[in-house]
Amino acid sequence: MLTTILSISLGAILINNFIFSQFLGCCPFLGCSNKTDTATGMGVAVVFVMGLASAICWVIDQYVLIPLGLQFLETLAFILVIAALVQLVEMFLKKSVPSLYSALGIYLPLITTNCAVLGVVLLNVQNNYSFIESVVYGITGGLGFMLAIVLFATVRERTEFSDYPECFEGFPICLVSASLVALAFMGFSGMSIFG
Amino acid sequence: MNIKKQFTEGLITNNPVLVQQIGMCATMAITTTLFNGVGMGLSVLIILTCCNVVVSAIRKIIPEEIRLAIFVVVIAGFVTIVDLLLQAFIPALSEALGVFIPLIVVNCIIIGRAEAFCQKNTITASFFDGVFQGFGYTVVLIIMCVFREFVGSGRFGGGLIDVANGFRFTMDGTGAGIQLFPSQYGAAIMNLPFGGFLTLGLLIAVMQYALKKSAKKKEEAKKAAKKAEEEVSEAC
Amino acid sequence: MNNKTVKLAFVLFLICAIVAGILGVVNELAKTRIAQYQDEKELKALSIVLPADSFSPVKLSPKNFMGKKISVISVMQADNGSGYAVKCSFSGAQGIITMLVGVNNDLKCTGISILSHSETSGLGANAASTAEVGVNFRSQFEGVGADVALAKKGGTIDALTGATITSSSVTNAVSEAIRVVESIG
Repeated sequence: MLTTILSISLGAILINNFIFSQFLGCCPFLGCSNKTDTATGMGVAVVFVMGLASAICWVIDQYVLIPLGLQFLETLAFILVIAALVQLVEMFLKKSVPSLYSALGIYLPLITTNCAVLGVVLLNVQNNYSFIESVVYGITGGLGFMLAIVLFATVRERTEFSDYPECFEGFPICLVSASLVALAFMGFSGMSIFG
Repeated sequence: MNIKKQFTEGLITNNPVLVQQIGMCATMAITTTLFNGVGMGLSVLIILTCCNVVVSAIRKIIPEEIRLAIFVVVIAGFVTIVDLLLQAFIPALSEALGVFIPLIVVNCIIIGRAEAFCQKNTITASFFDGVFQGFGYTVVLIIMCVFREFVGSGRFGGGLIDVANGFRFTMDGTGAGIQLFPSQYGAAIMNLPFGGFLTLGLLIAVMQYALKKSAKKKEEAKKAAKKAEEEVSEAC
Repeated sequence: MNNKTVKLAFVLFLICAIVAGILGVVNELAKTRIAQYQDEKELKALSIVLPADSFSPVKLSPKNFMGKKISVISVMQADNGSGYAVKCSFSGAQGIITMLVGVNNDLKCTGISILSHSETSGLGANAASTAEVGVNFRSQFEGVGADVALAKKGGTIDALTGATITSSSVTNAVSEAIRVVESIG
């Protein structure tokens, strides 16, 4: 049990990093990585929502959709759950933890259309994960996202001051630097855990 | 809104990937063979067109406050329909694209067009917007696939074109493609995530270069036109 | 809770219900086709790994899985007695690989077929490819026993270029699958 959890965690954070090897969540990754602070905020919000969404969607899938034979409604149900969840979390934080809300608030609405969140839920179903495995995969997948976005933000802060061809202004230079970070992450792909 | 202008917008001046810079995830993830690229592009085109038409048709009757939720439900509906149909009729494509078919739901292109265009425009205009934006997306995917496949494994049209028994198109993804040079000399790294990021970066850079150049040209042409008499500006 | 909220919730619910209804119809139409395709695919894969055209499932007891590094999904016995087919899943370089391993009565592998995987396109994915490189890789497993190993570990299997992890996990899984059949006896 512990081995499985460890192997899922390491896999999700390093080996199969959501951004650098599965391309899930690239839009916020490129959009919110111009400053380290923003990147950290976005990262924490994603970890939070991915963990919660994994748990709730697993329960809905196992106890509502599968018994009723409605698996074809999975995509529809999950996206609605995620949207509602993001709204609820936003309202809850606003009322009870205002300090956290002021830090995460602006990132929360963006998360609904973050494909890493819907992606993790769908992958949980595809991989037949149990409840605990799903939650672990959700949280560690989020941590992998956070690691990637924070690392990349530090790279991007540097490119601001470098001299590159004019036509690379904006997104292209980000993508090219992201490709180099992805290359570094490829080093992990050789790792296998416990045989 | 005329159709010709919408066409250039979708393909070039307001291309969803290259200019609006949205919907990048799938663009980088699945563009490893032409089969995937064409399949994904056409799926998005169909879903985008259907969603545009429906959103534009119901734009006057839905309450303002929950419009986004309704858009998402409509989009998820069409995505699931396409997903089920692919599983039933082109299973090879459904297997190759995997989780990226259901993930079209959160592809910003579709919700973006619903919010920015279809809400304010007629059904016909939205229909053409869907077709052209989808077409622009497909073209970008095809360019990326062709480039990555050629550099990565020296092939053209993997999965889609079968040359073993005469030239033909395959729908089951078994076509080996046209081998342009032996695959062991290809830079296999282009098939990896690295290649996805790099190719898209270069492609957008080229696009920005071209757009800037054409903007400059237009400016020069305007100056020239001002100097010359009206006949010149008519010719433009 | 005022009237407006109720109205909004009702509209949203109505639209969800309409969409779900349409999806139900489409699903009903596509369902048989999808199931049929899955069956065909499975049967095709089974006939690749074992020379037989009908199979029946074998009942497994927990001792068959003890200490195995792969998860066994099912074991099918060929009705003509030519051997067993083990359907198993294990982790490759990128994700879970599901594979069918044919094992004859002498506990030798008769062939393998990869049902699903998410390996890197152009490298690990070659293991499942229908192109020459994939066919050659898979045919190496015909006739091997439970002691099968990669060439670099002193065995006979040549790894795929740039995909050592995928190759070695496939090799290990073949060896484990043979052990599963051995435990059935």
